Amino acid sequence: MNGLLGRLFQFSAIYGCFVGLLWLAKYGMGFSDYLIPSPAEFLHVIREDGPDYVIYSLNTLGVAVYGHIIAILLASLIAVIGSLKSTMGVVTRVAAYNLQAYPIVAVSPIIFIFLGDGLASRLLIASLICYFPLLLSLLGIFSQPVEDVEHFFVETGRINHRLRLAIRLFENLDKLLTVLTGTATLAMVGTIVAEFLAATAGIGHAIKIALYQDNLARILLALMLIGICSSFYLAVIEMLGRIFSRVLQKG
Amino acid sequence: MQFIFRILCIFSMVNLMLLTGCSSGEKETGTSRHQGQPVVLRLKWLVNVSAAGEIWALKTGIFEASGLKVEIKEGGLEHNAIKDIELGRAQFGVASADQVIRAVERGADIVVLAQIFQKNPLKWIYDGSKLHIQRPEDLKGLSVGITYGGNDEAIFRALAAAYGISKEDVRFYAVRQDYTPFWNGDAQLWPVYSNVEGIVLAKKMKEHGRMPMFFDAEDFGIHLVANSLVTSRKIYESRPELVQAFTQAVLKGWEQALDAKNGQLVADAVHEFDGSVGVKLIQEQLAATRALVLSDIVPIGTIDKAAWRDSEELLFRQGLIARHVELSGVLK
Repeated sequence: MNGLLGRLFQFSAIYGCFVGLLWLAKYGMGFSDYLIPSPAEFLHVIREDGPDYVIYSLNTLGVAVYGHIIAILLASLIAVIGSLKSTMGVVTRVAAYNLQAYPIVAVSPIIFIFLGDGLASRLLIASLICYFPLLLSLLGIFSQPVEDVEHFFVETGRINHRLRLAIRLFENLDKLLTVLTGTATLAMVGTIVAEFLAATAGIGHAIKIALYQDNLARILLALMLIGICSSFYLAVIEMLGRIFSRVLQKG
Repeated sequence: MQFIFRILCIFSMVNLMLLTGCSSGEKETGTSRHQGQPVVLRLKWLVNVSAAGEIWALKTGIFEASGLKVEIKEGGLEHNAIKDIELGRAQFGVASADQVIRAVERGADIVVLAQIFQKNPLKWIYDGSKLHIQRPEDLKGLSVGITYGGNDEAIFRALAAAYGISKEDVRFYAVRQDYTPFWNGDAQLWPVYSNVEGIVLAKKMKEHGRMPMFFDAEDFGIHLVANSLVTSRKIYESRPELVQAFTQAVLKGWEQALDAKNGQLVADAVHEFDGSVGVKLIQEQLAATRALVLSDIVPIGTIDKAAWRDSEELLFRQGLIARHVELSGVLK
């Protein structure tokens, strides 16, 4: 709970400063409400569009969470295969490192052609955007021997691939949790990118409409809700991470 | 080691110089080479045949002859002409009625100097060999592409309201940047600028044995004025000679650009700025643009005040503006 409040406070402070600076520029330089909305217009938009935008943001958060889970599963699978010393492992590692160079925004039109502009495309783009950093970290963790611990099992002849991966995962748990938290933000970004490009739902779609209608007040509202949702999600992951570590340490 | 460090330093400096010197972060379309009053014109969208008049005026020295050193910049979702004018980054811009009216409603102090398109180029393309659309009611049961938040959505919804077409009567398909849903038949009507991508799409349709037809909401009394020349009231009042010189140069550019005898040269000029479209295709686009800009009744650039009032009413009824906007002081 403290983690969530802390994250929300951090976000609110940054967002407040950002909006404050915008209004400082607006009134200092005499910009119209068209260029930068007034506080009154912003409050009006919160009242009028707030409920809808909350639903859009939750929709986006839902897709981001599922996309993140898919990415974690996919990255774990590929990383496990990539950690093998066989040809298959080497090929998987090379392919993984090379494929991550492709910007998803450029690949997305192909995804939309085959999957349309529904939930599947949003999920896939969200998971692809956070999948690569996860994969690279997992490959790094799984390929890096923990000599001190592994040595004992090697000498006693009890080492096998599964045990080796378990040791490396356990020893790098903090690192893994940091990556998971970091990629949660990417999952949110990925979902919004997908929605902006082609979807018909979610906060990214709402931002695109607001851009077409030159409505900065709605974009500010969307940014606020995205920040709140991201803070919430990050705090939940951190909390789950702490629980998971505690359980493992006890076990 | 020292040698490698020096090489890296030189490489970084050259890179930095290239980045700062060659890129301003956005595409500049063109600038007059001669001296004159510096002026920035922000287009509504990417450079294409819809800016033929401005390009021709730049290319043939009409701007220079008027004592202007004009820089034309592309527009887009993030590059709004009205915002650029208010920020002082551009003196003139091209914007559509929906943009102007929304801006004025929210306090932007701008004026419209000329209306470039007498007819809105926005139409819906469809395959005439499969669909027979004579009147709006024929749209019932069809899937129609619309850009959510775009002016085609406002036009279509106004048309639907005027002709009693309910939400259940048509299926909306969200438009994106590729035409796959139209080719697949997921969307039977697709919104296009009839003088730009409409020509490209129609050509492809013919190549595939289809019969391209256009549905124009304007034929059924739905008016939303398209590209118009705008500036700030401050510039309009403080620099009348600049405003007059620029407006006349742009209109002269359009007159000459749409003169059939200049067709080839204008197409070459547009092609120079937008190499992605072939000269022959640009000539076809130019012919389509001629019908939208020129009128038998009024001179080029005339502001159709009745159409502007209709546009304002349309936006109000669609809830896109919260209150009525007084346009008499805006339209010059």
